[in-house]
Amino acid sequence: MRIATGSFTNSMLAQYNNLVSTESNLQSQVSTGLAVQSASDNPTAMQDTLGDIAQKTAQTQYTANITALQSRANVISGSLSSLQTITSRAGELATSAVSSDTSSATLTTYADEVNNLIGEVVTAANAKDPSSGQYLFGGTASGSAPYTTTTDANGNVTGVTYNGNSSVNQTQIGDGQTLSVDIPGENTGTGGARGLITDSQSGADLLNHLIALRNDLTSGNTAAITTDSANLQNDENNIAYQVANNGVQQSQLTLAASYASNRTSSLNTMISNSSSANLVNTMVQLNAAQTAYQAALESGTKIMQLSILNYLS
Amino acid sequence: MNLASRSMQTQMTGVEVSGQNLANVNTTGYSRQRVQIATTPDLTTSIGQEGTGASAVSIQQLVSNVLNNQIQSQSSTSGYWNSQQSALQGAQDALAEFLSGSSASGSTSTASDTSGTGLSTQLNSFFSAFSALSSSGSTSNRQAAISAGQALAATFNNLDTQFGNLKTSLNSSLTSDVTSANSLLTGIANLNGEISTAEFSGGNANDLRDAREQDLENLAQLTSVTTSTGTGGAVNVMVGGQTLVSGNTVSDNLQTYDAGNGQLLVQTMAGGVKLTLTGGSMQGTIDARDNTLATMQSSVNSLASTLINQVNTIHNSGYNASGGTGNTFFTGSGAADIGVSSTLTSDPSQLQLASSSTTTGDTSLALKIANLASAAQSTLNNATFGDDYDSTVAGLGSALNTANTQVTDQTQVTNMLATQRSSVSGVSVDEEMTNLMTFQRAYQASAQLVTTVNTMMGDLLAMKTS
Repeated sequence: MRIATGSFTNSMLAQYNNLVSTESNLQSQVSTGLAVQSASDNPTAMQDTLGDIAQKTAQTQYTANITALQSRANVISGSLSSLQTITSRAGELATSAVSSDTSSATLTTYADEVNNLIGEVVTAANAKDPSSGQYLFGGTASGSAPYTTTTDANGNVTGVTYNGNSSVNQTQIGDGQTLSVDIPGENTGTGGARGLITDSQSGADLLNHLIALRNDLTSGNTAAITTDSANLQNDENNIAYQVANNGVQQSQLTLAASYASNRTSSLNTMISNSSSANLVNTMVQLNAAQTAYQAALESGTKIMQLSILNYLS
Repeated sequence: MNLASRSMQTQMTGVEVSGQNLANVNTTGYSRQRVQIATTPDLTTSIGQEGTGASAVSIQQLVSNVLNNQIQSQSSTSGYWNSQQSALQGAQDALAEFLSGSSASGSTSTASDTSGTGLSTQLNSFFSAFSALSSSGSTSNRQAAISAGQALAATFNNLDTQFGNLKTSLNSSLTSDVTSANSLLTGIANLNGEISTAEFSGGNANDLRDAREQDLENLAQLTSVTTSTGTGGAVNVMVGGQTLVSGNTVSDNLQTYDAGNGQLLVQTMAGGVKLTLTGGSMQGTIDARDNTLATMQSSVNSLASTLINQVNTIHNSGYNASGGTGNTFFTGSGAADIGVSSTLTSDPSQLQLASSSTTTGDTSLALKIANLASAAQSTLNNATFGDDYDSTVAGLGSALNTANTQVTDQTQVTNMLATQRSSVSGVSVDEEMTNLMTFQRAYQASAQLVTTVNTMMGDLLAMKTS
């Protein structure tokens, strides 16, 4: 085939451009670690990768939610421990009070102690989450403390009012999976999360039971104290249930955190498979392209230097 | 002496033609020329036919009309895909959806740092912010959700602006192509006239034909053309079935017209015939604008309007931190005007997350909005927001990928045809220098013939005087 002078240089320039373009593309892959950087590089891989990144973002958020819930569950656990100690002590006092050798002075002392326990329960029931500043046991009602008290002239609590509700907020901890670690202070219905202080399912009504016990201790009504003791057992059982439930929830959160971590690793692998460059292959290809470019330049310039003009004098 | 003189003139013409070829070795569209030399008529003598030498009878242009027609046709295809590639690359840049990452160790990419940009990131952040808000309705979480909504809305607004700018740019490109085409049509008609005049008395107007061929190829880049041979060496040009150049006359020109909503198309200027173009950069621009780009803009707009409706339906049914209601989350109706209510941006407590006015600590509506991330939307062909957008990105990527492949293939075809044409019409310096020496030697020989005859004549005259 006859090769014109311009044809040769045009072909040579086109080849140079192709080789430089290849080198540029490979260098970009090496420097970013990505074989796919835009949709036109590989539309299917881009679509898969964007979907995987969205999934990964969701898993990251689930992990953050889980961390927040774990923190709150730990705070609730502390409150539950306090309440467990209080109910246990109240039960002991009630049991001791109905013994035959208990004097009226002792009953008064017990009544004073129960009075203090009532105050401790109110304090525990009005606890806040330190990180969010929200009340832990007010349900989804917000703004005011879950429990307000009515006191007599001596400052003794004579009645309590629950300002919250029986609902709890659910939080995403996985795909289609939500959890709430919150406990409403009161649930007088037949469904939903069981109430911490008052719960119709378990028969718990801790504050009122403590008030009744204190009043009965003060009046020395041992028959009523026996009833109070039985009621306090329901309260103790209810707190025990809440403690156990809190433990189960913390286990759920640990499992969910582990799942989110594994899922994130899996998604990273999928993203890598879809979009990452195989650096070994890419480097080999880059070396090959560099060699080809060098050879093209050397051969091109050598050929360009030679023509019939070199031999004309 | 006449024979020698004619021979010298003939070889001189050869030298001139080689010189012309060498001078145009780098001229785009130039076709090499050859001097055609033929023996002059013999003289009848008593001893038979006696030669009278040779003379240059014509200067021939070496061209292949088959290759020229193929290149013209492929120019339209190249122009179409080049303009598609340019437009779709602009669309991909406007979408700004790229993966980013870095191989920090330089050894391997773990992809743990691979992230997206553009709308996909903002969508993910928006739903994540509401997921966090469902965990705690604190002021900081409320502010974060509102900020995520603002960032998402701003990205939609920016995309819509970018699409609008791109459409304007493509319309400008189309108008510019039409202007160029009209200029080329005038040039072709003028060249037809000049060629006809130049060839009237015989011979070929080689350089003018080269210039016209170049104009035809440039016109074919802009739009698919059909040509036919007219009288006097003229070429008639038709575009979209309409004759635009007939001989040395421009029958009609092209102009753009607005088919509605700023959608510029092409028609003939005088006839007002709306043209259906089949190739070239004009049709590539129109197709990119009216197909891929329009689909993408419509998809993004549907995404925005569906998001507005879905989020507002949930949000508007709720109550804020004070138990009040009546605010929407998103304002606007599509990608162009989506925004977050100024009431919310100035006071995050106005965010309506509670399902009842009495349960103001309730964040169940935040959870519902967060759950929208994985909810199939009937207005988005039962895809989720993320999947629908990813599909839009992939659709554009696929169209651009096809354009890139076509441009690469077309470049190969064009280069191959150019090489083939060059093998026929291109100038070779080596070849021309060789021809130059050949003519030079022939000229020297002819000059020597004059010298010889002159010496003989001198000898003859010397015989008379001696």
